Amino acid sequence: MSNTINLSHEPVTRIPNGKVAMWAFLASELMFFSGFFAAFIVLRNGNYEVFAQGSAHLNWVLALVNTFILIGSSLTMALSIHHLEHKNNSQFRLFLGLTILGAFGFLVVKYIEYSAKFHDGLFPGQAHHTVFYSFYFMMTGFHALHVIAGMIPMMYMFFRSFTNKGYPYPWKVETLGLYWHFVDLMWIFIFPALYLLNPYSGTLPVH
Amino acid sequence: MSSQTSVIPSYLKVFYTLLVFTILTVVAAKALHFPASWGTPGDVLHVSIGIIIAVLKVLCVMYIFMHLKFDSPLLRVFVYVPVFFFLVMVFALNVLEHFSYTH
Repeated sequence: MSNTINLSHEPVTRIPNGKVAMWAFLASELMFFSGFFAAFIVLRNGNYEVFAQGSAHLNWVLALVNTFILIGSSLTMALSIHHLEHKNNSQFRLFLGLTILGAFGFLVVKYIEYSAKFHDGLFPGQAHHTVFYSFYFMMTGFHALHVIAGMIPMMYMFFRSFTNKGYPYPWKVETLGLYWHFVDLMWIFIFPALYLLNPYSGTLPVH
Repeated sequence: MSSQTSVIPSYLKVFYTLLVFTILTVVAAKALHFPASWGTPGDVLHVSIGIIIAVLKVLCVMYIFMHLKFDSPLLRVFVYVPVFFFLVMVFALNVLEHFSYTH
């Protein structure tokens, strides 16, 4: 374990400052997404037909592929942190590269999915689509922005790892890892909420 | 952080658990059928199952991938409190809203 990690500890709590800051930020991110989920739940329960139609129109297979991609990239992120903490720069670079690839793959699938929706005449902010699509574009759109935001520092660390000293700060990668796993966590809720849980799934409408 | 040998198998275990639970989520939502009178419309049973599986996945990720298992108990308290209230909100709002529209 390098001195960098020990020096960054807060003396009273013995938790690294960066880690506390990231968890506080993630708590605020949780509140950000909570607003969407709360509004989603309330409106879904008031508009079963609208949410059933919207959900049935989404491509849940593509979303399932994206779920697998995100879970895989969470694993490679955790492994890249592990290898950097054990001073294995080449393995760190390999697994961070795979994580970036996963993030990129997620966005490619999202592009395919959005293209199909645009082809069907469903655009963000259009008056004639239903409230379901407002949630769909807001929640998946903000989630995709989080993926892009995570890719930027990942790419910086990836390119820094090619310098002869390698990437020197394991705790920064661990902090970024927390953010990346949070992006995965939000998808764990968004995937069933939007794509799978049709208000009439398994049964026919009663009226 | 524990030694090199002990961490990677637990990461892989979490990874496999997440894959299995994801498939379970899909199967539960798409293939599991309840009689129409058991909470339709609104489908509170499928929603509850979906939330429970999601919570198990979230706890796996937080405990192992996000290192809470290896972190200070203080940080664990700091993290679990907002997550607990988020889950209470999701679950309670779902159930309350469901019954306010169907009963």
